[in-house]
Amino acid sequence: MERKDNRIRPRQLVCLLALVIGLSMLAACGSRTDPGQSASRYPDELILAIGSEPTDGFDPTTGWGRYGSPLFQSTLFKRDHEMNVVPDAAKEYRISDDGRTWTVRLREDVRFSDGVPLTAEDVVLTFETAARSHSVIDLSNLEDVRALDAWTVEFTLREPQSTFISMLVTLGIVPKHAYGDGYAREPIGSGPFRLVQWDVGQQLIVEANPEYYGQLPYFRKLTFLFLSEDAALAAARAGQVDVAAIPAAFARQPVKGMRLKSVRTVDNRGIMFPFVPSGSTTEEGYPVGNDVTSDIAIRRAVNVAIDRQALVEGILEGYGTPAYTVNDGLPWWNEETIFADGDPEEARRILTEGGWTDADGDGIVEKDGLAASFTLLYPAGDVTRQSLALTVADMVRPVGIDIRVEGKSWDELSKLMHAHAVLFGWGSHDPLEMYYLYSSRYRGVDLYNAGYYANPTVDRWMEKAMYATSEEEAWEYWRKAQWDGQTGLSFKGDAAWAWLVNIDHIYLVDEQLDIGKQRIHPHGHGWPITDNIEEWRWLEVQD
Amino acid sequence: MAGGSRLRRNLMVYGKWFAMKLIRLCTLLLALSIVSFCLISLSPIDPVQAYIGADAMRVSPEQRQEIAAYWGLDDPPVMRYLHWASAILRGDMGTSMLYRTPVADVIGERFLHSAALMAVAWLASGVIGLALGIVAAAHKGRWPDRLITWYCYTIASTPAFWIGLVLLVVFAVWLGWFPVGLAVPAGVLAAEVTLLDRIHHLILPALTLAMVSIAPIALHTREKLLAVLSSDHVLYARARGEKGYALIMRHGLRNILLPAITLQFTSFSELFGGAVLTEQVFSYPGLGQATVAAGLGGDVPLLMGIVLCSALFVFTGNLIADALYKLVDPRMRKGGDG
Repeated sequence: MERKDNRIRPRQLVCLLALVIGLSMLAACGSRTDPGQSASRYPDELILAIGSEPTDGFDPTTGWGRYGSPLFQSTLFKRDHEMNVVPDAAKEYRISDDGRTWTVRLREDVRFSDGVPLTAEDVVLTFETAARSHSVIDLSNLEDVRALDAWTVEFTLREPQSTFISMLVTLGIVPKHAYGDGYAREPIGSGPFRLVQWDVGQQLIVEANPEYYGQLPYFRKLTFLFLSEDAALAAARAGQVDVAAIPAAFARQPVKGMRLKSVRTVDNRGIMFPFVPSGSTTEEGYPVGNDVTSDIAIRRAVNVAIDRQALVEGILEGYGTPAYTVNDGLPWWNEETIFADGDPEEARRILTEGGWTDADGDGIVEKDGLAASFTLLYPAGDVTRQSLALTVADMVRPVGIDIRVEGKSWDELSKLMHAHAVLFGWGSHDPLEMYYLYSSRYRGVDLYNAGYYANPTVDRWMEKAMYATSEEEAWEYWRKAQWDGQTGLSFKGDAAWAWLVNIDHIYLVDEQLDIGKQRIHPHGHGWPITDNIEEWRWLEVQD
Repeated sequence: MAGGSRLRRNLMVYGKWFAMKLIRLCTLLLALSIVSFCLISLSPIDPVQAYIGADAMRVSPEQRQEIAAYWGLDDPPVMRYLHWASAILRGDMGTSMLYRTPVADVIGERFLHSAALMAVAWLASGVIGLALGIVAAAHKGRWPDRLITWYCYTIASTPAFWIGLVLLVVFAVWLGWFPVGLAVPAGVLAAEVTLLDRIHHLILPALTLAMVSIAPIALHTREKLLAVLSSDHVLYARARGEKGYALIMRHGLRNILLPAITLQFTSFSELFGGAVLTEQVFSYPGLGQATVAAGLGGDVPLLMGIVLCSALFVFTGNLIADALYKLVDPRMRKGGDG
């Protein structure tokens, strides 16, 4: 008898298994969603898996919201679809003639989500805190900020900086009365949404802020899931999200109930050439300069020989655009920087004109005994950059230029980048980037002007742009720095870089969801898509 | 009287043993922290660059230096280590660069999720692994044995994340039975999240982790039981007419239980390693996910904190295994005496 009781019979096992499976099927019935409707339970709610978690929280003074909308806070100004500055929490700004004093008038009807009005004191606290935060918010040029009266703020800069407007456009205002140590986790602001719950490492739940002074968003509640790209794709396929950010490699797999939305960006990739001849070193003793790439004929020939459209088709699966500068498509872009590429004949002509000929018949051109051969480095592990580098090397080989491609760690790159060409990626909504990359003031400083590029005329145009007292004026000077008819930093002038492609950002969006007109996105993938969240709607469904 | 003195002597033996273990732990943690710190210092990830990330072109060189100075990254590595170590001795694990909150808080929050996941997987793998091992040994050479060993060898040679991906695709994407990730349902307030919701989210990651850990336990149990079954006392029992599972329960189980328990507790390290991969696949907000984020983000204080905590975790597992050995097996007790 006793023996029998102890025995585990196969039939019992099968029963148990069936029970487990049955139970889990029951549990699953409630969680299935029908495709074509919101992944959430209600039509005015959305579930998004669009980007990585802002791990340090939602405090604008340490960097939250610098891409896209800060959601919880409002900014003094914002940009419209044409990238013009339009009022938000502030009405207007004035720049003094010396460009150092900025006076901003605030709107008087802005309230935080707890009902307290937003005043100049809050703005002062925001900028003072951000300046002291030692974070990615760079306010090292801000000398002083003070409140002239309840609705007027005065900023004093150490040096004129027309790009300071970017700070007023991106920095969300925090409330003085409710700002403290825990603010990043429980933000209060005057933006279109307020935080309901943040499950660290998992999701962020926000709902519409009833106190918001601007256009109220149609969607009352948003849930942001923090999933990896693979998990976001899986969630989209399981019908559990309305919008998912995915890498281009996944773009070919159609997902039922979702359409592919490809957004133009300035998330670019390009080759930085050492601009000066070899012979010198940095303070740390790393070599500077390259005798091959310091020759303008080489830089121009490489630029012309590359077929950018082929790079877009072949490497980015068509999800991208050819790049000609670091700021294609932005208002301060000079359209004259576009040129005809993919032309080996023209590249050969440029080389011959520059004195480079293939005397010894080895297929590589030489000049004064120096072969046109240089190394192109890329950060190891970045597959896109590796493919771009290898394809570019193949494209310039027929015109007689030999590029050796090598992957290096960032540590090694920072030692080698002054003497070797490097495949970098940039792209920001701030012309300051162009200044850092091409100004002679930043030669050899960290990653900025790694190639030691310098052109006095370009420097002058960029200084003028920085000192400009209106944004339109500044844009005009930034364009001139790229090409002013005589010289410039772009291909027609010094060809200091060979820009290759802008990489589109790809999203899977519910077939029924309209996410409005998307502006050109900067380098970061994800949050910028929420920039126009108030425009998002369900498409009209025919009954 | 005699019983009292024996108890006292036993306590003393245990005390001495435990003190030795504690000293061992301290030296282990010291050595581990030095080695990890050296490795992190040598890693090609520049913490400032990792922190700035895509914003590189909006952050001036001056600001970079300020960031480095703020986090003490411009000091030489030895200084940084001493700073860190002296803070640790005062009980301060530092502030995480990524989360801008105290490391202890981050680890505490994450550990709860990981602990739930690992505990379920650990219990399941222990019980199921033991059961499968016993079944396989009892039917040695016949189809249940071959099926179980085939399963074990297949799983043992399969990476954990791959199993996770397969389960994810089949059960979450195709069948839609389970969520694709996270530990709570999307868009539901904490107060409305039920225990059932949490279990629903835990099943796939725990299953993945358990499936991986079952294989070694089942195989070890099988081997051990086969050895026991071929011993003389089992032969004698068979001669008396005992057979089947009753025989195993009476004469086999006691003999294999001890190695099984030891194996179970020493598997803490594999459990933790498996959890890192599993949490990554299922976007599960545990320590494993934080480890990956800290490593890629150059967050030295957080990474060091996790290294120490995981070492402590694995050490505790081994300690429990040793202590159980001493308790269960009288021969070990004597060994400790002499």
